[in-house]
Amino acid sequence: MEFKQTKFENGLTIVAEVNPAAASMAAGFFVRTGSRDETSAVSGVSHFLEHMMFKGTKRRSAFDVNREFDEMGASYNAFTSEENTVYFAAVLPEFQARILDLLCDIMRPALRAEDFEVEKKVILDEIARYQDIPQFRVYDKLMSEHFAGHPLGNSILGVPESITALKRDDMQAYFDCRYSPGNVTVVGVGNLDFDAFVQAVGETCSKWPCCGDGRETSRASVAGAEKVISDKKVLREHIGLMSSAPSGQDEARYAAQLAAAIVGDLTGSRLFYALVDPAIADEASMAYNPMDGEGAFLTFISSDADRAAEAVRLARAEFRSFVEQGPADAELLAAKNKIASAATLKGELPMGRLTAVGFDWVYCKEYVPLAQQIEKLFAVTKQDICEVVRRYDLTAATMLALGPLETL
Amino acid sequence: MSENFYIKNLPNGLTLLGQQMDQVASAAITLLVAGGASHDPTGLEGAAAVASEWCLRGAGDRNTRQLNDDLDALGCQHHESVTSEHIQFSAAQLGRNLADVLAIYADIIRRPRLEDSTFEPSRALVIQTLASLEDEPARKCGLLLQERFYPQPLGRLIYGRAESLQAMSHDAAREHIRSCLNPRGSILAVTGSFDWHVFCDVAEHCFGDWPEQPVEPIKTTLPPAGLTHIPKDSTQTHIALAHRSAAVSAPRYYAARMAETVLSGGMSGRLFTEVREKRGLAYHVSSHYHSLKEFAGMFTYAGTPPDRAQQTFEVTVGELRRLVEGIEPDEMDRARTQLKSALVMQGESTTARADALAGDWYHLRRLRSLSELSEAIEKVTPEEVLAYLREFPAENFTVLTIGPEPLDISLIDG
Repeated sequence: MEFKQTKFENGLTIVAEVNPAAASMAAGFFVRTGSRDETSAVSGVSHFLEHMMFKGTKRRSAFDVNREFDEMGASYNAFTSEENTVYFAAVLPEFQARILDLLCDIMRPALRAEDFEVEKKVILDEIARYQDIPQFRVYDKLMSEHFAGHPLGNSILGVPESITALKRDDMQAYFDCRYSPGNVTVVGVGNLDFDAFVQAVGETCSKWPCCGDGRETSRASVAGAEKVISDKKVLREHIGLMSSAPSGQDEARYAAQLAAAIVGDLTGSRLFYALVDPAIADEASMAYNPMDGEGAFLTFISSDADRAAEAVRLARAEFRSFVEQGPADAELLAAKNKIASAATLKGELPMGRLTAVGFDWVYCKEYVPLAQQIEKLFAVTKQDICEVVRRYDLTAATMLALGPLETL
Repeated sequence: MSENFYIKNLPNGLTLLGQQMDQVASAAITLLVAGGASHDPTGLEGAAAVASEWCLRGAGDRNTRQLNDDLDALGCQHHESVTSEHIQFSAAQLGRNLADVLAIYADIIRRPRLEDSTFEPSRALVIQTLASLEDEPARKCGLLLQERFYPQPLGRLIYGRAESLQAMSHDAAREHIRSCLNPRGSILAVTGSFDWHVFCDVAEHCFGDWPEQPVEPIKTTLPPAGLTHIPKDSTQTHIALAHRSAAVSAPRYYAARMAETVLSGGMSGRLFTEVREKRGLAYHVSSHYHSLKEFAGMFTYAGTPPDRAQQTFEVTVGELRRLVEGIEPDEMDRARTQLKSALVMQGESTTARADALAGDWYHLRRLRSLSELSEAIEKVTPEEVLAYLREFPAENFTVLTIGPEPLDISLIDG
């Protein structure tokens, strides 16, 4: 396993974790842009643009792009979050040159008007699809409540009105500003030839012009509000709780990850024993979401409506006792073992390492080998965890509930 | 990648399978126990799902918390699930912890406490999971389609019915579950970093004296094809349809996978191209192949705005039917490369390989190496795919829709 990196004059960075023993390789373009970088007038443009990136370039039609990915047998996709848009593909090593030619090319899309209009219908259907998924609606509304007045509260998908009103040229303007080379990190993982990798990316991307690539990263003043959205079409009560946490750049993120696992892992956690084991809720879990200059602990609960109030009360009691007492030695050790084991399993696949290596670079400009990541995890003390959940006050959570209840 | 397969049949009917993998520190186990939802007796529908919860709530010397804590302390990523045919226990951990994890699983499978006090929450969780389907129309659509497509009771909803769960007594559930946890027909596969001889010693110590019990064969009846519409005031209309395909053990299995890939592999597949890329009808449209031991289907799903549902349905069925008119050489080439690449990439994952080994043994009573699979895919000709499509035509669809309005399915009637 060897780490390599280089940077072009225009600011575009390449990082790679080369593993000649792997059977495949993965490559990804990590673009530092998402819904937090949008104005309300173009709400949803980052995600819509992500779709349009597969719709062809000067040299390729949309059908060419799809066909070529499939000709290589690539496992490929893209995703958009509040602050990152990531395009990735895993292939057998023999396709390295071809996959890079394709990925580099689609990163400068044609944005043809006729494709834009067809894809607009697909985006509107995707928004409709998520409206049928209560947990997604909770997440979307909870983010906008918790980060009220801060760009992180922006919706990723946008709303039907903003998408319908969006013009092709608005998207082009957003693209020109945000897909500046300084916002792009190209990541390679697995069995790849780094010199050829750099040359292939450089041929296309080293000539990209620069433009404004900044981002507003002030800390949010979070609200801590409680809101119940009553919807009789939803049968169960879906509840989200969100509180502040260390940012993606903060060394305390390892302690935060452990805190989330101890309080809310899917099995064997405090929420599991308090809520799922006695069947008060069929789902109760907590995740730590590190972001750029921000962070959040996010808890999801799903329960029968008539037990929802009890479920929230018990979850809050768990938060309180954890803040007061911190973890027991045995549960801290178990959480470390669980996370280390999960990271090892994920790290055995190039696609699994791609996001780890990519986001370490995007957020911290550092490469953390898997072994070192596990060392950092095991170095976390009980005191570190107590400090995190006290400094960020796990008990001060914004709550959003969606379901049949009027109040909670 | 080396492919060192190991097979050992124990006298009580349990089969041990293994594949060592280079370059990994993890070891994954998949344990298929032959007592899936189709084995639930009438009136006890949902018992297998309750078992998958209940067995983890205390076993041997450990209560629920001790059991979970001990698995956690070993870094064991575990998952229990129920299919038509099996209760599946999956566990992945560092190879050095394998023996300790296996010893805990021996308790879970052979000495589950199944106490009265832990029955109620186990049942309640399954009832809640069943109720949760109402808030997940896309998933509900797929599960109910299986129920209407497969011979009964093979397609049965794994969570049972609200009435059967409400009426289930702990005594009846316990008696049934104990009879299901049977070595006869069960499969334990291990992949990754392990020593086969050490593994066999541990597995035989844990499971060698597990007494076998007679297994009752399941009687099946074929359900009628046709449309079921479930009215729901949902934002999308969810359309799911299924038609027969070749089982894993059938001669035209590989042709079926090629047909599936031409239809729905990647973004150049025919369904994605015609339904989404050209017409913008739906965000999600796909076909996937699914096989029970003797009965397989091609399952197609589209989620679409209600006002475009009829057109989406017609374009989708049109594409399923148009396949038999011919497949272009470049489509065959793409499908072959996609299937072979997917094999190599799945071959890097210990959990995916453990599932594949157990699945091969269940369906075929032998293990297929990646090179055998790759060669078999390479050899499929367009003529064989067309012959498969004539043997399993896109006819006699079972259709299930959830949404504001039912579809007009006269297009596929008769």
